[in-house]
Amino acid sequence: MNKPSVSFFKKLFANGIRPLKLVSLAFVLFCGLLVQAQPDTQIRGFVDFGTNYKNDQVNFTLGEQDLFITSDISDRVSFLGESVFKFSANSPTKFDVSIERIILKYNIKGNHNVLFGKHHTPVNYWNDSYHHGRVLFPTIFRPMMFDMGVVPLHTTGLRFQGQNLGKLRFGYDALIGNGVASTDAIDINKMKSVMLGAHITPKDGLRIGLSYYQDYIPKGAALHHSSNVSKQNVKQALYSGSVSYFGSKYELLAESSMVVNKNDSTGVNVSPTAYIYAGYRTKYKLVPYMRVDLLNFSSEEVLFSNKRQRGALVGLRYEINYLTVLKLEYNYTESMSMANHSSMTNTRAINFQFAIGF
Amino acid sequence: MKKIVTKLLFGFILIASIISLPSATPVEESSIMVIANVKGAPTSLTMKELKSIFQGEKQRWNDGTKISIAFMKSSTPIGRATASKVLNMSGDQLNKFWLALVFQGKAKAPVFFGSSNEVESFVSQNPGSIGVVDAGYQLKDSRVISIEGKKSF
Repeated sequence: MNKPSVSFFKKLFANGIRPLKLVSLAFVLFCGLLVQAQPDTQIRGFVDFGTNYKNDQVNFTLGEQDLFITSDISDRVSFLGESVFKFSANSPTKFDVSIERIILKYNIKGNHNVLFGKHHTPVNYWNDSYHHGRVLFPTIFRPMMFDMGVVPLHTTGLRFQGQNLGKLRFGYDALIGNGVASTDAIDINKMKSVMLGAHITPKDGLRIGLSYYQDYIPKGAALHHSSNVSKQNVKQALYSGSVSYFGSKYELLAESSMVVNKNDSTGVNVSPTAYIYAGYRTKYKLVPYMRVDLLNFSSEEVLFSNKRQRGALVGLRYEINYLTVLKLEYNYTESMSMANHSSMTNTRAINFQFAIGF
Repeated sequence: MKKIVTKLLFGFILIASIISLPSATPVEESSIMVIANVKGAPTSLTMKELKSIFQGEKQRWNDGTKISIAFMKSSTPIGRATASKVLNMSGDQLNKFWLALVFQGKAKAPVFFGSSNEVESFVSQNPGSIGVVDAGYQLKDSRVISIEGKKSF
């Protein structure tokens, strides 16, 4: 494992800036930002619970408690924090607390911002928009590409963001961070993850986006957002595209990510993944919907499962109001080994979710 | 399995149908007036510009002042009229739209008030702020922004 480079700080201190002076300078700058502060802090949150019928039995399930804080520190500086409390069988207390986002944002000019902290990597619409807000999810669970580790959920690092620029409401994101094999506190190697994304909103409710993400995952490293452990050194490139439309009647969300994992053992493995969601909003706030998920992992994949995964669901969503939503879904998933196409397993489940915001 | 699916589906639709029974007859929408602090906002805006501001797309005035939005609550006639006339949304849709935007970290949340008096008080005290009040409201410390050349609509 490589140690982080300290040459930058060595040079800085060699030029006469001592650590204490540096800390003092940072503190003075931070205080300067707060001088004109009129703190405007809000705490909001989401909670969900539900039931499911699976393997001939009914289970009651507690979902997540998501708390998020927004605060305007000064005219140009703002803060957003998001923490999630959820059940965890492996925890001694049976609950885990995770820091999902900590973002300090500085408005450079107009709609251009620089953000520092832990972000939800904006590779696609779902990850950039819904985070852990189950009330906002159009379905009960996230698409399968999230659970299988394809989407790099979080990135701790530096992000440049622009939004609603020009007639097409163009937006961009450029993000450099520790990568999916590292922690929130330290990068396990010198290689940084890089993400570039752009989107347009040509009309209200319609967004079209493209993104590119690259990362390096060393052999034996566990991904921070899934149970996958890399069997080889992997150089990863992720190409994503998405189209979303949420109008007064129709809802459509189609996203695709193609993962190209390059390693010295099995070469270049290409795994296309996608999902499509469609819903129709009736006049009584009822939204019947469906979603289909497809994940065609390469049979020589060394980072993800090497099975083909498919899923389909149909459901009904009822939005009592913007903070209270009921969802009922029938889910079907199947998994097939790419090496042996005859070994297929499948699961069926009925899920009900009651999600609220506060 | 099939019976349970049928029962669950039936139960869900029944509950949803009971809750969603139409409860009110349509009423005429209130007239609204857009007001602003003396600093920041221009004296007139087009409806497209106003919509862009109320959707969190434009976040600073041309002089660099940060925009703060003051709405009436969506449970009030003025709140509903604002959502409908400017954004072509219901009050609930406006609330959901802004909840998502704030949760995404893309905009500063509007402040919601229960009366025109409270809206004007906020607007007059906060540079760069813009708000919506009842068209008949007598202003004290802020100014009217004409929209498409009209003082109220």
